[in-house]
Amino acid sequence: MAIKVGIVGIGHTRFGNSSEYDLADVMAYAATDALQDAGFLERRREIDQVVVGNMASGMFCHQSGVASSLISRMDMEPVPAELVENGPASGASAIKIGYMAVASGMADIVLVVGGEIMRKVSGWEATDLVATILHSEAEYDMGLTLPAFGGMFTRLYMEKYGLTERDLALLAVKNHRNGAKNMYAHIQAPCTIEAIADGPEAAVVNTYVAEPLRMYSTCPVSDGAAALLLVNMDSPKVRDFKKKPIRIAGIASATDTHCVHNRKDPLRLEAVRLAAEKAYKMADLGPKDISFAELHDAFSILELAISEEVGFFERGKSFLAVRKGETDIDGRLPINTSGGLKSKGHPVGATGVSQAVELVRQLRGEAEEGRQVRNPKYGMSVNFGGFGNNVVALICAKD
Amino acid sequence: MIDFSIYGAKTPTIKAYKCLTCGAVYYPAPMVCGKCSTRRDPVTGKGWETFDLEGSCVLLTWTRVWNLPEGYTKKYLLFGIVQFENGLRASGQLEVEDPRIGMKLNATVKESDERPGNPVNVFVFRE
Ligand SMILES: [Zn+2]
Repeated sequence: MAIKVGIVGIGHTRFGNSSEYDLADVMAYAATDALQDAGFLERRREIDQVVVGNMASGMFCHQSGVASSLISRMDMEPVPAELVENGPASGASAIKIGYMAVASGMADIVLVVGGEIMRKVSGWEATDLVATILHSEAEYDMGLTLPAFGGMFTRLYMEKYGLTERDLALLAVKNHRNGAKNMYAHIQAPCTIEAIADGPEAAVVNTYVAEPLRMYSTCPVSDGAAALLLVNMDSPKVRDFKKKPIRIAGIASATDTHCVHNRKDPLRLEAVRLAAEKAYKMADLGPKDISFAELHDAFSILELAISEEVGFFERGKSFLAVRKGETDIDGRLPINTSGGLKSKGHPVGATGVSQAVELVRQLRGEAEEGRQVRNPKYGMSVNFGGFGNNVVALICAKD
Repeated sequence: MIDFSIYGAKTPTIKAYKCLTCGAVYYPAPMVCGKCSTRRDPVTGKGWETFDLEGSCVLLTWTRVWNLPEGYTKKYLLFGIVQFENGLRASGQLEVEDPRIGMKLNATVKESDERPGNPVNVFVFRE
């Protein structure tokens, strides 16, 4: 019988600009929040393992060894601690490794922390540093960036399925509406379809970033951290925590070609499909069982493409569901209830953990008024590394 | 007439790779053939053949990137993904007035020092 793993504590800083602060301090703050939430702060040295997700502290902050640094800030020595890196999916990969530590029987209690400080450098430098995850010679050297791939993917999708720029704007309106109510979100301001698509000033307000992607189809550059406390649900220690665990029903990842141009069908996100398939199998669930989802909308097109790859909608049909409001908070399948990366922000190493925090908040019924999904049972998240070449899917359950 | 000022000038190229065991072609270079698992030794190149990837190709998708960092004299850069006649694909810069998916292009290679570090070879796709 496989060991069941649950989440008993969550922590999250408000995403935004934390560039005046030290990365390890920001991560320690979120971690301390998670321990307090679990009622386990005083007993933190009983934790068996700390796993940290971070993409590029070496480049963004000129700082390495952040997992060890975090331990010391929290006075947690001699607890073991390691760093996991998987680009913008480092957070979810850290959860996966934490899950594996508990499931293997090596650890009963694991603290997972994801964090990134990106705003110590300029916006362009941040885009450039993130672009180093691309193929060094065949992509990065060409001058390509993640937004460039987002733009080229969007154009293909539009050409094939008839998606419009207005459809992308509708996603921004939905996600900002949710994010405006999320106390952790970077941009807590709603936006209207008039302001960013229909009105006379829209083209000025919502300028092109990488055509046909506009600013409101692209996530901001953010700082922040999020944390989870994982526990072996079969261990007697599970009774020592303040809150009932939310079970990790499935977690899995998959990889795809490093070079985007080498994918047989450049519109397919195979790693998303495979990661989701494996997570469903592990959870013994299917797409129809999911009550709500957090999908990695670094570019709005990805919310659509991912929602199709994980089986929520038929190929090329997801934006029709968005038009009908099916993915709104009170819709059939709410997506990006937190505001998504677009509104909540995307501190790369933190994002996967932040998505899991949102799953727990929703499943516990702790989300803010106006963005709480009604009686959710299963929440799913997809954290997207590279331009889809290393993807993690997570399913959490309220038992 | 001889122009000594261009003495030693090399035409920049970008290489594709062919596995001599099974004939599979690649860009960029793999370390192991995906078809027959023949290893590639990047020092001797034994068992593999290289050839210049250039010439006639078709545009698969493209984008125009705005807000370039300081140092660029242009307002925007165009990028595209193309497919060559041998089936290989590549990503690179696009210098076309009015790009359209499916249009025929010619792939050339230039040396670029737009990004920090050593100059690198970059694809430029033109009509
Ligand atoms: Zn071969």
